[in-house]
Amino acid sequence: MTTAPAPVPEAAADDLAALALVLGRRFAAGATLWCVAPGAPHHARHVAVEFVHPVVVGARSLPAVAVSDGDDPVEAMRLLARPGDVVLAIGPGDDAALARLLRRGPAWGVHTVLLAEDPVAAPVADHVVRVGEADAGGALLAYHLLWELTQVVFEHPGLLRGPGPVPGGDTAAGTAGEACVTCSDEGRLAEVRRLADDRTAVVVAGGHEERVDTSVVGGVGPGDLVLVHAGLAVAVVEGAGRP
Amino acid sequence: MSSEPTAFLYPFIDGDEGDAASLLTDLAVSARAKVAASARLRADTLTRSRAEISAAGAAMAERFARGGRLYAFGNGGSATDADAAVARFRRPAAGVALPAASLVEDRAVLTALANDVGVEVVFARQVIAHGRPGDIALAVSTSGGSPNVLAGLAEARRRELLTVGLCGYEGGPMAASGDVAHCIVVRSDSVHRIQEAQDAVLRTLWAEVQAALPAGPGV
Repeated sequence: MTTAPAPVPEAAADDLAALALVLGRRFAAGATLWCVAPGAPHHARHVAVEFVHPVVVGARSLPAVAVSDGDDPVEAMRLLARPGDVVLAIGPGDDAALARLLRRGPAWGVHTVLLAEDPVAAPVADHVVRVGEADAGGALLAYHLLWELTQVVFEHPGLLRGPGPVPGGDTAAGTAGEACVTCSDEGRLAEVRRLADDRTAVVVAGGHEERVDTSVVGGVGPGDLVLVHAGLAVAVVEGAGRP
Repeated sequence: MSSEPTAFLYPFIDGDEGDAASLLTDLAVSARAKVAASARLRADTLTRSRAEISAAGAAMAERFARGGRLYAFGNGGSATDADAAVARFRRPAAGVALPAASLVEDRAVLTALANDVGVEVVFARQVIAHGRPGDIALAVSTSGGSPNVLAGLAEARRRELLTVGLCGYEGGPMAASGDVAHCIVVRSDSVHRIQEAQDAVLRTLWAEVQAALPAGPGV
């Protein structure tokens, strides 16, 4: 019979503390927490009920929503999430579909979190919290702690007004972490909303729409993720389609 | 000290402190303590309830082997834990897939019963509709006192389903009811820590069922 220790690694405590502060500040600024767990939708619903209807009498109700299992999470979040919101995904740390969702966070201006089950690939979210093996209790423990810590952050009103509520204000999420191919400067991730003409497109970057020149990258379409620098789309990072 | 209702969660954190770095340090220390407490409760629960979980697993395996179905239910976070248990039986990472259904899954049924009759019947009425002698009712509760969960178990007992119940604290009305053939109590007064230990109990229960299933074709 299993008597293994708790599955959350030691380092996760620091990650959860930092995440709780960001989450508290985002909630205080009006954010919604969106929960996505395609392989285990019960986790997303558990997070939602935890925040909306706390088990501790008198604890504040905070807006958290489980994204419907039937929805494509990218389509759903593009439609529902507002700049400043937080998207929390739970699943394998190397999941291509979750990476496709989380990679778009900087373009939409949303903060992204992955409670990552093993194996964990390159970080694809603003916060990646390792929760050990799938279905070993780590994710449950992590979001319980996240709820408890976030409630505590609310007991420090001065800290709730600290940096963080502004999209891109508390992390490097506004930048793509990739260099512009023409000038080696950092570009910004943007998602194509619609084509304006054959040389320009309206994109959303950091949650705001802007027009960019697409003549360098050629035939882009709605939903494509591009790297933008100085009003120019310089590279296609990912197509609109599923991986 | 803060007068916030959640202050007891972190009694040593000073509500007036205004330094983010200091708060982050305190939060991480508290998180580590809770991780350790969670691990201790899991281990203690699995050790103390070893015989009861084994017995429940064997009895459930016997029902499954004779064609029984599992119906799981609970409220709120426990509803999602019931869903997780059902998913594990239905779509196991390894082992035999077994017939299990969640009584919290169909929102049309739940809202119809809650609206037309009352929330106390949402599980019992479904047990009446679906349950047969030889099936299994698996109830998940932290308090052990939810009237609709108790009603579901009582109805399952009347209809000769095997009744398995998980609860916390000192067992509450569930442990005292006499309606639960196998009652597994997580002895804690923290809802979160109880749920974490129950998650481990449900996983162990699943493994016990798999181990107790008769080998060979036809299972």
